[in-house]
Amino acid sequence: MSLAVAAEGVTRRFGRRWALRGVDLAVPRGAVVALLGANGTGKTTLLRLISTLLKPTAGRLEVLGHTLPAGGDEIRTGTAFMTAGGHAYEELTGVENLRFAARMSGTAATDDDLRDALAAADLGGAADLPVRGWSTGMRKRLELARLRLRPLQLVLLDEPFVSLDEDGVGLVHDAVRGWRDAGAAVIIASHRVEDATRHADDIVRLAGGRVADVTA
Amino acid sequence: MSDLPRRAAAILWKDILSETRTRQGFTAMLSFAALVLFMFSFAIGVDNDLLGRLAGGLLWVAIVFTGTLSLGRTFQNEELAGGTRLLRLYPGDVRAIYLGKLAGNLVVLAALEVVLFPAAAILYQVDFTAQAGPLLLVAVLGTFGFSVIGTFFSALTVHLRARELLLPLLLFPALVPVVLGSVGATEAFLAGDPLGRAGGWLRLLASYDVILFVVCLWVFPVVLEE
Repeated sequence: MSLAVAAEGVTRRFGRRWALRGVDLAVPRGAVVALLGANGTGKTTLLRLISTLLKPTAGRLEVLGHTLPAGGDEIRTGTAFMTAGGHAYEELTGVENLRFAARMSGTAATDDDLRDALAAADLGGAADLPVRGWSTGMRKRLELARLRLRPLQLVLLDEPFVSLDEDGVGLVHDAVRGWRDAGAAVIIASHRVEDATRHADDIVRLAGGRVADVTA
Repeated sequence: MSDLPRRAAAILWKDILSETRTRQGFTAMLSFAALVLFMFSFAIGVDNDLLGRLAGGLLWVAIVFTGTLSLGRTFQNEELAGGTRLLRLYPGDVRAIYLGKLAGNLVVLAALEVVLFPAAAILYQVDFTAQAGPLLLVAVLGTFGFSVIGTFFSALTVHLRARELLLPLLLFPALVPVVLGSVGATEAFLAGDPLGRAGGWLRLLASYDVILFVVCLWVFPVVLEE
């Protein structure tokens, strides 16, 4: 099976601090990988490297067949990254936020498509309300709706279960199943071990910026 | 629509929509601009001849001061939304971010000038209408140069702690040719351009605008890297 992500000795340093030291990782297409570890072990840094937001200080990182830093545009076309803090504009409504995301990613989405995506995330009733008044959980659901606007080959989820109620957590699980069934690779970084590992083919534990162990 | 203009237009649409929903920023800018114009008027006193001769310079200083406030907010809404760098997660040329933000600044500054020019005409008792065409050209070139470099430095300083201080510190020296050209051309046209100096100022402005635009557009992707 071809790999969506292949990392060999990937290292990233911020000033004098080493966030990742020689990380090796292999994520096949269509696989779900749970990325576990305490705070500051490098989970988010690894996701940011894979998403092309960061460049490795050293090592080789191949994503969707492209060895970074080459192929950044092709990688971003097939990849989506749900950051822990989210990405939503306060003054725009739910529909407008999704419309902006669709335009930026070159996705041909009609108004009905956007409303369907919001309804699928249980946000149909808030579609025309500014995000300013939304709860953190609603914003998380908006992120989920944004990710489901276009077909993806690689999905990176950073703490996707935080702030979500039981139904919201169920939506994330449904989405992960959907992406996996469609052949996309999914990497979930989370402290909620039970949720993160529910669909996982591999469990990768990071400690001190290194891979401590990999459980199949 | 091809990729770059489409994505730049998406950013412009989003920023204009956000601005029209709050209007706080623009209202504050207008109030500040009015205050600056009044302060100059009070400082110079009731000498209408002197006010008229200095009108071009006073007007452009008011535009630069007020515009700097607007430039400081260019990327702040992105930070509130999760981070400017997250825009890099979308596929396509990151220069679209610069072009979209630049277009937004041009719209805001143009709206500001629509109010500032008549206000300055009344306060300083000068007639801009006699040379409306040439003065419009000066306004376009001056505003473009100001926005080009201001948008760039706004992106450069958005992640710095002392950005409110650093933005003008970096911006003002780089703006010297834009301010010189704009003030020189405005004053020359207001005086009827008896010495034929306006053309030289316009050439300086246009050349500097082109050089700035090319350099800023070329370097911008590096600014967003971590």
